[in-house]
Amino acid sequence: MKNKLLQFWGELKPREIQSTIMIAFSFISIFLMLIMGLVMYNRFVNASREENVQNTQKLIEQTGKSLEDYLVSMRQISDAAYYNTIKESDFSKDGRDIQEKMNLLYEANKDKLRSIALYNNYGNLLMAEPVANEKTNVDVTKQEWFTHAMNQTENMHFSTPHIQNLFDDGTRNYYWVISLSRAVELTSQGNVQTGVLLVDMDFSGISWMMKQINTSPNGQYYYLCDSSGKIIYHPRQIQITEGIYKENTIVNGRYRTGVYDEVFEGSRRKVVVDTISYTGWKLVGVIPYSAFTHGMLNIRYFVVLLTLLTIMMLVVVNRIVSARISSPIMKLNDSVKKYEAGEKPEIYIGGSLEIRHLGYSIQKSYERIDNLMKEIVVEQNERRKSELDALQSQINPHFLYNALDSIIWMIEGERNDEASYMISQLAKLFRISLSKGRTVIPVRDELQHARSYMNIQKIRYKNTFSVEYDIDPSIEDCCTVKLILQPILENAINYGVNGMEDCGEITVTGRKEDGCVVLTVEDNGLGMSGEEAALLLTDSNRVHKKGSGVGLVNVDNRIKILFGKEYGLYVDSEPDEGTRVSIRIPAIPYSEENRKIVEQGHIPGNEEKKTMELTVPEEAERKDAKNGQTEKKNGEDRHEKR
Amino acid sequence: MKKDKKVFILIEVVLAMLVLIVLLFMFQERADQGVKKIAVVVPNSDHSRWASFKYGLQMAETDFDVETVVVSTGETLTAEEEAELMESEIDNGADGILVQPAAGDDMRETLERIGKKTPVVQVESTVYTDEENVKIASVEPEHYAMGKTLAEEILLDYNGSLGGKTIGILSGDKGSAASEERKAGLTAGLKDAGGEILWSVDGYLDAEEILSPAAYPRVDIIVALDDSSFVAVGEINAKGSLNGAVLYGIGSSTEAFYYLDNGFAECLVVPDEFHVGYQGLAVLADDLRDSHKAEDYPEVAYTTVRRETLFTEENQNILFTMIQ
Repeated sequence: MKNKLLQFWGELKPREIQSTIMIAFSFISIFLMLIMGLVMYNRFVNASREENVQNTQKLIEQTGKSLEDYLVSMRQISDAAYYNTIKESDFSKDGRDIQEKMNLLYEANKDKLRSIALYNNYGNLLMAEPVANEKTNVDVTKQEWFTHAMNQTENMHFSTPHIQNLFDDGTRNYYWVISLSRAVELTSQGNVQTGVLLVDMDFSGISWMMKQINTSPNGQYYYLCDSSGKIIYHPRQIQITEGIYKENTIVNGRYRTGVYDEVFEGSRRKVVVDTISYTGWKLVGVIPYSAFTHGMLNIRYFVVLLTLLTIMMLVVVNRIVSARISSPIMKLNDSVKKYEAGEKPEIYIGGSLEIRHLGYSIQKSYERIDNLMKEIVVEQNERRKSELDALQSQINPHFLYNALDSIIWMIEGERNDEASYMISQLAKLFRISLSKGRTVIPVRDELQHARSYMNIQKIRYKNTFSVEYDIDPSIEDCCTVKLILQPILENAINYGVNGMEDCGEITVTGRKEDGCVVLTVEDNGLGMSGEEAALLLTDSNRVHKKGSGVGLVNVDNRIKILFGKEYGLYVDSEPDEGTRVSIRIPAIPYSEENRKIVEQGHIPGNEEKKTMELTVPEEAERKDAKNGQTEKKNGEDRHEKR
Repeated sequence: MKKDKKVFILIEVVLAMLVLIVLLFMFQERADQGVKKIAVVVPNSDHSRWASFKYGLQMAETDFDVETVVVSTGETLTAEEEAELMESEIDNGADGILVQPAAGDDMRETLERIGKKTPVVQVESTVYTDEENVKIASVEPEHYAMGKTLAEEILLDYNGSLGGKTIGILSGDKGSAASEERKAGLTAGLKDAGGEILWSVDGYLDAEEILSPAAYPRVDIIVALDDSSFVAVGEINAKGSLNGAVLYGIGSSTEAFYYLDNGFAECLVVPDEFHVGYQGLAVLADDLRDSHKAEDYPEVAYTTVRRETLFTEENQNILFTMIQ
């Protein structure tokens, strides 16, 4: 598995410089962009969170102030009723006056008030505004506002909201009020007694204020509770009562003014608290953490969209940039590749200074390599030519020695005619051997050379074998390498017909086959096995028992050097049957022009083929040359023995 | 094509597809942001007995981010009229219907037909549908239990025996399942108490006429099984025309509380109408989001109120919902 992953990674790894640059650029830019995006997003969220909390604080302060003003105004009503009316009046004689004043006070504030009522310490109603029927079954002394006022006479008491249960105004309605009660001194006929002044505020005033700030759609809300956690106003008051919703009122009621972080019912939230003066009520703003990101889902999508589009753009830009950076290198690389493929392109020189320099260097290197190659080719050709010359020249000394030796014998034996004939044949032979220093001669001359040679040999061997020529005249004007038949004929004499008494036959044939000239030397001598015949052309180290020492390998190599590997010698032999050696060369009409071409290692009409086989096993050639010299030496030794 | 070009095109195509997906999500979210509109069809919708119910709707509107429109209706609402109103509201763009089904077999077919195309939740009363693929939710008080509780309260006042006492039962609805269940609960509770149910009147038009001696004989105990009956009898009692009968009943308006408060009734069983409204809308909102399970239909509680306990904190909260 690990190996597969590594292999997959290996396949994915970019190999081109452009891909590497592009991927590196893309990774870096995307990484930086993501980091920057995250930082910006966090910064934005934090800033928005701080702003939200600050706004909530401001709103709570303002609302708290409004609530305080509202409650102060209630207290002022209570103060006005008490200090300006009740305390200064005697109920026994100023009843009507008190009622009028209370009525004025009520009328002036009736948008905030539900009622103003005055009770004596037994809970009996002394007066009320607006005038209404007192409910018969009500005992106010058991109501909270009354007991609080009577128990703490020095204070004013704000109750929590409740249903007013005092009067029947005939509307069959009930009112949700907050009661402000205080103990008052009532004077009647000079006697002072304690009573309770009750100002019932319409809850709608507070409710309206709270509703004004509870308009946020993001889950943020505000509520009002007293210090014990009893709810005064909550946007989900009934849901809380019914257990559908829960609120952390007990804890929040104990908070002082400030901002708090808390986890309630599994969700984190910020709680902003403001304490309302005198009442100790807490105005609480609750911001669930989800509210900070409310409505931001679309912003998130937008950010993701922006990121994706930026990445798309970055990939395109990075590709263009990487292409521009890598283009000169790629062009340089392409021109080098073409060069390696054998073409001769101009090496690209362009781009930055370093790449231009690189291009120049490569171009110079290739130019130098070209020059060196040309020099090597010239050197090789020279060497080949000199080797060829050396091979050809190997024939002359020992043959000349033997021929001259025979002539001497003839002259000493006064066989002057024979000697004269032999000398004339020798002259022909050498004329053709020289051929003005040419390597390639017409087949006709090569055949003449072979005839002269055989004529000399026949004299030497006292006509113990016969030679027949069967030549197609059409091949006589074709090109051939000179002195290729003579070594074969020499072998045919030495290994074939030598030792046979008057019955040795050597046949030289010349034909044109499939566009090639085929010269064959066939003898009816001892022959040899197939393996031995095969060794004639492959085993260059083979020691010749007799002969001129110019082996068949030598001839084969010379043909191959000039005409190509598909040409050369073919040996076919059977023991006691004889041997047939064929020379196969291309049928190239002899002309001065063709001769020059062939001598340079080319074949007319097929220029590419030539220079070629320059790769000819130089080692083998060298060995052949060496063997030739060895054979030559052996021949000389042999001759000396004779 | 070169390998790096292929990879480049592949990356761009993948990114383009991601862009399309994000755009799709953005448009989807924008489409989802539209507030669902719910039509509420109940008889005599301006009556004060719906105050608590409407407050429940109002609270649920905020909590479930829906918008309600309470269709203005007259005192009586037939099944045909109700069907017309529902169709009309759907044509006007209502995404769901909250309805107190009128009595009658036609209502079943109407609900089945409408329920197939628009989510419908029944409140206060239920019409059971036969079609399995049309499940119409219902949020209603426990009518039978309320009737039985009323009987228990009567028996409590008469030491468990109504021997020699006569009873009259009054119900404003005729043939509604709610009315039938309440009556069944009451009669089951009074069965062995020894009292005699002299009469039981449903779907009357004028309570004062019915309670005149000429129409029905005088009884010792009158049981009003719905708010309008309770208020009507309480009003007659306030005028002193009840001939000494004692009023018990079920009600959900400030008027009902008023007559109890002033001694014109002995006991009042108050269904939690706030809860009916709130939960009815909650169930419908869930239906609109396809997240509601049939088993989730909530039960709605009720409270027994007597004159002495009328101003307890719990009962004050009930009154609070009625005066908003």
